[in-house]
Amino acid sequence: MRVEQALELLPDLEALAPLRALLFSTSRTDDRGMWASAGPYLTVGKRDVSPAELRRQLSRAVRTVSDHVHALFTHYVDALEHQQAGDSGAAVAALLAAGGLEQQVGRVRQAEEWYALALGIAAGLQDRRPEVGALDAMGRLCLSLGRYEDSARSYQRALALAEAEFDQAGAITASLGLGAVALERGEWAGVQAWYNRALRQAEAAGDGALLGRIHHALGELDRRRGDSAAAVEHLRQARERLEAAADEHEVARVLNTQGLVDGALGRGAAATAAYREGLAWVRRGASDPGLEVSIRLNLAQQQMDTGQLLEAEEEIRRTEQFAIAASLAARLVQIYTLFGRLRGRQKEETGFVFFEQALQLARQLQCAPMVEAEVLYEYGVFKETLGQGEEARAYLERAQELLEGTGGRADLERVKAELGRLTA
Amino acid sequence: MTRSRGAAPGTTDATEGAPRRATLRLLAVGATGAAAALQSVRQWATETGAEFDYTPDLPSAARRLAAGACDVVLLILGDRADEELAWWADAVRGAPHSPRLIACVQHASMGLVLRAEKLGIVDLLSLPVSREALMRALERLRAATGETGIALPAADPAAAGQYALVGQSAAMLEVYKLLARVSPSTATVLIQGESGTGKEVVARAIHQNGPRAAGAFVAVNCAAIPENLLESELFGHEKGAFTGAVTRKPGRFELAIGGTLFLDEVADMSLALQAKILRAVQEREIERVGGGESIPVDVRLIAATNRNLRDAIAAQRFREDLYYRLAVVTIELPRLRDRGDDLLLLTSHFVHQFNARHNKQIRAVSDRALDVLRHHDWVGNVRELRNVVERAVIVATDDTLRVEHLADELRGEESALPGAAPGGLMTLAEAEARHIARVLAHTGGQISAAAELLGIHRNTLTRKIREYGL
Repeated sequence: MRVEQALELLPDLEALAPLRALLFSTSRTDDRGMWASAGPYLTVGKRDVSPAELRRQLSRAVRTVSDHVHALFTHYVDALEHQQAGDSGAAVAALLAAGGLEQQVGRVRQAEEWYALALGIAAGLQDRRPEVGALDAMGRLCLSLGRYEDSARSYQRALALAEAEFDQAGAITASLGLGAVALERGEWAGVQAWYNRALRQAEAAGDGALLGRIHHALGELDRRRGDSAAAVEHLRQARERLEAAADEHEVARVLNTQGLVDGALGRGAAATAAYREGLAWVRRGASDPGLEVSIRLNLAQQQMDTGQLLEAEEEIRRTEQFAIAASLAARLVQIYTLFGRLRGRQKEETGFVFFEQALQLARQLQCAPMVEAEVLYEYGVFKETLGQGEEARAYLERAQELLEGTGGRADLERVKAELGRLTA
Repeated sequence: MTRSRGAAPGTTDATEGAPRRATLRLLAVGATGAAAALQSVRQWATETGAEFDYTPDLPSAARRLAAGACDVVLLILGDRADEELAWWADAVRGAPHSPRLIACVQHASMGLVLRAEKLGIVDLLSLPVSREALMRALERLRAATGETGIALPAADPAAAGQYALVGQSAAMLEVYKLLARVSPSTATVLIQGESGTGKEVVARAIHQNGPRAAGAFVAVNCAAIPENLLESELFGHEKGAFTGAVTRKPGRFELAIGGTLFLDEVADMSLALQAKILRAVQEREIERVGGGESIPVDVRLIAATNRNLRDAIAAQRFREDLYYRLAVVTIELPRLRDRGDDLLLLTSHFVHQFNARHNKQIRAVSDRALDVLRHHDWVGNVRELRNVVERAVIVATDDTLRVEHLADELRGEESALPGAAPGGLMTLAEAEARHIARVLAHTGGQISAAAELLGIHRNTLTRKIREYGL
């Protein structure tokens, strides 16, 4: 039985999401499947499911759910005890921790409930620092969902409160958050101003790791606005500070950005080396499958850009298998989008199956609108490559609609430019 | 055949591409505690003229790999040996000079040995490493210098023949005879054969040599397309017929009017869709999804499958009436391993094809590499060979394809070639473990299916998997 058939028997209930994840992670494909003519188009929906294997793994999945629920309940009881003891700040922290757990496993609506609850309590306290923390959590969540207005509002309030309370750490975090929102909106001058402000405050605090993260953010800004030379310098400083702070994952993130910059400068070998070293840093630190997937996808993109299509295909396939095994279903959306792009480069019409699978997953997993918009944009470009202008336009217009709802101006401009090209 | 001496890691080669070094450069990687254990290894390696370097730090090792600073990575594996091996096999992929891996581990299960082979690891040594074991591993690397190049047959465009098919084996001659008979007609053809045997190539040959050659050849892969989209792909849809039907779109049947429609992996269709295909074949007309109009479709139909349709009919997964409609003429394609010396012809054909694509000048394949190719199982048949050759052509830096250029799995198989191990023989347990691993790969790791194939009880198989660490 195939995953797509197995999913037909599974109601679309939120409570069954862990079972869906288990279905994906236990699905397999054999050597013959990979070499079949459908092999190059294989997606998770076409993998085989063994009910016996699923049954064997059920208890593991139930244990994971149970551990999660147990942790949530514990945070709640902690909050209750702190509240009873009159320590509302600690109660807010416990509620935020519960929200953080929900966000980690992709339950964003539930996370928002916890954060909103924490915010409500924090707003009534004399000490405003818990509120700064809650606003920061809310800002981060909204940013990840593409709700830039809400995110900016949270961070602005956090900044005002932090400055009033002389909470330097809170002010830096809020400035970085506001910079990140401006980055998604393509407001480069605003980003620069917020990051510079954070940089000045961090320099005063003398926090090396934080300075490293800010230099990384500045490097990313320079990369996005096409100033590679400035990006290289910021990334060098970021790396120096983060290596000194032994922050493996942040070093890996910097190398991930470094790879993009090297790629833009046409330094293919240097880009590959940066991604490979980034993977080594991830491996040296605690496991972070999401970060590993990001680096591998950039590596595959780099290989595609330099015409190494076979290598790119193998890298994407390995990343897909890694993501499935690590239960990172949401990352499959990006993986299949990249696969679709690759097939577009090869002018293979059947490549549309990857975009269809990506769209289906994005909707099933209730991904943020900009995630679906990205798939639609690439789907449109794919159709355009194949000379199917009418369909290309339909997908691009749908992407435009979604992005107009989020205010992600940088992405919106890209979609509009593509639509303009199509008209021309 | 012309033979030429090849070159291997650590030797000097005057041909084009990256210069090869005369000295083998070893980079040992392991936790800080491994440094002491490697003192002797350093001494022994240096005695043989190799350069030895050590780092406990993974990122620094990655930097050295990227700089092309080593030919061999000597890994000291920890508690998660399996995971570490897989990570390193991935890390050296695409690194300059294609470094090889030698791994050292405290306790190697049979399963770890097999997985190491599959990943192309040169050798898996037990800790503490003995001088003899290290020398043997290094010798295996140096033995590659003994590879002799065999000139590939020239690429003769006529060799592909009228049907653009490569091969002169008896099995392929039978296919050509059938093609000659069936092509001039408009009869529906069913092509059967394992994955990668060239079913679509044969379908194109029938089309191009048939009366509809001027029309379109439209291929649909029924196994690749999600079930819920296959109907609209085949028959087309009207705008708004379903979510995602953003425009009116003709189906593949319509696009193939006047030409040939090739339905690949036809056994993968649902029974409901099979009924619709049957109607289209019988009535020669179709209806778009969401449309009421009947559209006449004059197409030649060629279907293909890698499954046994008789079994599928018995299991009620395939309609018998559709089978008889499709199997007016049946062509059975041979497996690559049943095509004898076609392997060399195909290798040559692909090398020439990829030389042109990747701007290379490969003219020979080494005797060892050819041996590996000949002994490989070729589950993916010609498609797998094509992939292996393309990858090898990309990696090769001079004019000869050698074992070091082959994919990990094939490189790993070198050790299992006759004459590779002392005496070329293995213990009964090793043979059993290898066979079980092979069957498990075939079943995609499904234990019940593997037990059935092996003819043993599921519990017995589970016990053996545990015993061999598979």
